[in-house]
Formats: sequence, C-alpha cells, structure tokens
Amino acid sequence: MSTTLVEMSEFLQKGRVKNVKELIQKALDEGIAPKTILEEGLLSGMSVVGEKFKKNEVFVPEVLIAARAMNAGTTMLKPYLVQEGVESKGTVVIGTVKGDLHDIGKNIVKMMMEGKGLNVIDLGVDVSAEQYVTAAKENDADIIACSTLLTTTMGEIKNVVDLVKAEGIRAKVMIGGAPVTQDFCDSVNADSYTPDAATAADVALSFCL
Amino acid sequence: MNSMERITAMLNHQEVDRIPVYPILSGVTRKLVNATYEEWATNADVCADALYKAVKQFNLDGVVTLIDLSVECDAWGQKLIFHENDAPHPDYSQCIIQDIEDYAKIKKVDYKQSKRMMMHIDVCRQLVEKANGEFPVTAFVFGPLGTLSMLRNQEDMYMDLYDDPDAVKEAVGEVTKTLKDYVNALIDTGIQGIMFDTLFASGTIMSQDMWIEMESEAIKVLADVCHERGVLVMIHNCGEKPYFDAQIEATKPCAFSFLHPPAECTDFADCKEKYGNKLGLIGCVPPPMVVTSTDEAWVEECKRQIDIFAKDGTGYMLATGCEYPSGSDFKKAELMVEIAKTYTPYKK
Ligand code: B12
Repeated sequence: MSTTLVEMSEFLQKGRVKNVKELIQKALDEGIAPKTILEEGLLSGMSVVGEKFKKNEVFVPEVLIAARAMNAGTTMLKPYLVQEGVESKGTVVIGTVKGDLHDIGKNIVKMMMEGKGLNVIDLGVDVSAEQYVTAAKENDADIIACSTLLTTTMGEIKNVVDLVKAEGIRAKVMIGGAPVTQDFCDSVNADSYTPDAATAADVALSFCL
Repeated sequence: MNSMERITAMLNHQEVDRIPVYPILSGVTRKLVNATYEEWATNADVCADALYKAVKQFNLDGVVTLIDLSVECDAWGQKLIFHENDAPHPDYSQCIIQDIEDYAKIKKVDYKQSKRMMMHIDVCRQLVEKANGEFPVTAFVFGPLGTLSMLRNQEDMYMDLYDDPDAVKEAVGEVTKTLKDYVNALIDTGIQGIMFDTLFASGTIMSQDMWIEMESEAIKVLADVCHERGVLVMIHNCGEKPYFDAQIEATKPCAFSFLHPPAECTDFADCKEKYGNKLGLIGCVPPPMVVTSTDEAWVEECKRQIDIFAKDGTGYMLATGCEYPSGSDFKKAELMVEIAKTYTPYKK
C-alpha cells in the first residue's frame, strides 16, 4: 500500500485533522483514486480505532477525535467521490429513543457505520417511533438503528419495531445501548442487537449487501 | 443495632447483625409524596420529606442525597430543563461553554447564589435533623470534571481534552474552588459523609492516565476537606472497569459504590479479595434489572451478591450499582431489603 495512505491512516487514528487533510491532498496529487484514499487511508484507520475501542485499548475521547478526523477527510474527498461515481453501500437512520438524551454511544455507532462506507442519517436524541419511520421512508433506509441507555425508555424500542412492522417498511431494526441485551432484542422482535459499535457496523454492512 | 451502628460497624469491618441495605432510591421517592420530578428536585421540604419517608417506609440503612447531576452546574447559571416525570438536565442548546475559548470564562463563583446548591444544603440539614443520629446522611456531590461537562456537553469536552487540556484543567480548578466551599457548607449541616461521583474515572469513558491528569488532584482537594473535618469520603462510579487504585490514592475513601468489577480485578470475587478489607463495598445489583427481570431473578441476584461480598460477614452493603429507576414501583426495593434482613449465610 502507498506510504501516504499508511501515514494517513496513522494520523487519523491519532485524530490529527490537519495532517489527514494534507495527506489527502498529497495522495490526490500522487494520482491515487479517491475511492482508494477513502477505503485505505480513512476507513481502514477508523476500523483500527473501532477494534481498539472494543478491546479497551483506547477510550471515548480517542474515538471521538479519530472520527472527527475521518469526517474532515470524507468531507474533503466528497466532491471527488461524487465525480468518480462512488456510491454509499447503504442507508441507516439512527437516533436515541424518545425520553433519552444519552448520545455518545449512538454517535460512536454512527461514526463506525460511516467508517464502513454507509450513509448515516442522524436524527439526534429523543426520537419518537414516528420520526424513525418517517425518516426511513423518506430515505428508503436499509436500517433503523435505535440507541437507549435508560431502562425507563427501553420500551420505546418496541414501539419502533411495532410501527416498522405495521407500516410494512423494509428497514431492519438494529438496537443497542448499555442496558439492552440479546434477550430483550428477541422479546421485542428487533432484527439485531450488538454490544459494541464496531460489531454494529459490521452487522449493518451485512444487512446492506 | 440501629442503622447508624450497623453502618459504622460495616465500615470498620466489624461484625454486623445483618447486611446493611440501600437500593439507591432517589427520584423515585417523589411518588411517596405525590410530587412531580420538578417539585421533588427543587423544593427542599418535598425532597427531604420524600427521602425520609423512603428510609422509614422501606427500612433503609441510610440516605444518599443523589438528586440529579445538574445540581452543581446551576452555580454557573447553566440553563436547565425540568420535567414532570424525568430528571432535570442542562439545555444542551444553551451551554455556558459554547466554544473551547469559553473555558477561560469559568471562574470561582459564590455557591450561595445557586438555588439548587442551597436547596441541596437545606435537604441535608433537614435530613440530619429527621435522622436524629439513627441513620447516616450522605450528601452526593458531582465531581469537578463532571460538573464542568454539564456546562459544555460531554462529547465536546472529551475532544477538548485533546485540543486544549490546559484550558480544561484551569476551569476544573475554578470549579473545584467553588465545590470546596459547597462541600464545607454541606458538612456544616451535620452530615456523616459525602459521596463523590467521579463519572469519568472508568473504562467506559477515558483512560486511567487521562483521568489522573484531569481530575485526580481536584477530587483530592475535596476529599481532603472531608478528611480534615472528620466526614466520611465515599466514591460512586457506575462505569465499567472503574479505576479503584487511582481513586483510592486520590481520595482515601472508606467506601465505594459501584456497578461493575474494578479495572484491577477479574470479577466481583476478586474485588472482595483485593479490596474487601480496605473499603466498604456498596453494590452492585444492576438497576436495569428492576425493569427487566422477574422478582425471582432479582432475589437470586441479591443473594449472589451477598454470597460474594459478605462472605466474611461485613464490609459490605447490599445496594443497586446506581440509581434505582425513577419510573418504577418499589416492589424490587422491598425485596432487596427483605433479602438483606433474612438471607444470612455468612452467620454460619
Ligand atoms: C456519560 C453518562 C451520562 C451523561 C450523558 C452525556 C451524553 N451526551 O450522552 C450525562 C451526565 C448527561 C448523563 C445523564 C443522565 N444519566 Co447517565 N450515564 C452516563 C454513563 C456514565 C456513560 C454513558 C456513555 O456515554 N457511555 C459510553 C458509550 C460509548 O457507551 P454506550 O452508550 O453504552 O454505547 C456503546 C454500546 O452500548 C453500543 N451502542 C450504543 N448505542 C447503540 C445503538 C445500536 C443500534 C447498537 C447496535 C449499539 C449501540 O455501542 C456503543 C459503543 O461501543 C452511564 C453509565 C454506564 N456505565 O454506561 C450512565 C447511565 C446511562 N446514566 C444513567 C442515568 C440514570 C442518567 C440520568 C437519568 C441521571 C440523573 N438522574 O440525572 C441522566 C439522564 C437524563 C436523560 N433523560 O437522558 C443510568 C441509566 C440507568 C438505567 N439503565 O436506566 C446509567 C446506566 C448509570 C447507571 N448505571 O445507573 N449520563
């Protein structure tokens, strides 16, 4: 692999926006295809961070700054990717359920999913079942991802699953957050539960293929 | 033994007549006095009455005044949103610290200007009076870094720790000066202990090195005030892999309220082994079980915890690892107390 991309991935892992942007310019000047820059320079770096986070080798602040560098990079690359006709691999509508304002886990899941090349639409916090479903319809989403950290709001997840079924939309429902378990997932008939963000991104990608 | 004697014995690792118990009933106690969350969280008479009722009605061995995590940030004028049935929280669209430069604006303030801090002080005063020495009253104080995060929002603050750690640290210092006066005022009410919430000192959030760098000195300042004035220091941390050693070094607590095994331990049994004779251990029944589990599973979990943590018969208080869900009924709390009273294998 090009040393420029290796370096880019390393700077991304350290959250260094400025270096990442400089290296993107350098890679473009070297004639490396934007899609290759995206996958081997940016997304691969984010994958490493995701794995380390899962193993408790890095923590929330490190993930956040790496994701910020990834976002700066993808924003810079976007016009080139559009030109090249690179399409996203699928669409996810994500949010924290109604009544709950915890959003750091949700944001990390979003970043990891973006790190897999998915288009993620973030509805923020305190999102009602209707809002998820409306957004999924409008964007023909492959996935609705619900995060909740409060036991008091876990019931909201069932409302989302029920509404998705009632409206007959095709989106799969993925759920997560500290109090959520596989048993709970089974009991509300959601399509997937994963305990961490890196695995969530892998599962999301598999739903889109 | 009355509750005061029982807890004192437990903390001194002496024999107890039974395991003390505290299912961290906080916001849920509003239901005992038919108050809204907002009334309960803003009116000292209502709050003290509710917390006292909970102690009496359910036979709890003490009270911790965990109101919510937005009490302290009120002193800097953070706009808060109150709800009828949920805990208050900052209006994150109007945080006092909007930009990384704004940390410089955070200076020591007069805690007496803060309605919420004054209300909490009043709650402690009333509870001490009501308790009349029969059970201990422990004030709950959000740590300096946690308080600062409520003025900024957590996500941006985590990134600021990389972008300008010195600016954050300066502000932590100013917050600490304010909290020091506040802690002194709480101690003046006659409380027996203070429980500091070091929300970020766990593997859930940041590395141990980062926590030591950012908050350990500040929390030490507050713990030292308690030690000097003869008030017990306790720590609450409900994250995964809480950093016990670093927090013990900084605060020399007599007890730790927690939910997950410490970073230094493989499991709860190992935790009892390593820390059982140094610390009072408080926990670790998962609050989500109040909502998700059957009564039988709940009872089993309470017993399992007693088997692990009370095998030497002391140094342990049966409790939830964090606040009892505020929307629930009291059934599981009653069961927990019942188990503490009747399940006594350690006596054999
Ligand atoms: C930081 C924190 C806060 C911050 C939140 C900041 C923010 N913007 O999010 C503040 C201080 C504001 C806060 C407030 C409150 N909190 Co809080 N908080 C926490 C804490 C310590 C960590 C949460 C966190 O950020 N974790 C880090 C992230 C990265 O982990 P995560 O969210 O679990 O996400 C990971 C996975 O779960 C998964 N995941 C997450 N979402 C999704 C979604 C999908 C689809 C998938 C597949 C996976 C997935 O991937 C993520 C990355 O691996 C937890 C304790 C804990 N140990 O979890 C309590 C906790 C969540 N809080 C709790 C409570 C009670 C509250 C308050 C009500 C307190 C109060 N009385 O004031 C308020 C809530 C107000 C409200 N209405 O929401 C309780 C909830 C109890 C319960 N289960 O009901 C907890 C569990 C503490 C406890 N043990 O009791 N809190």
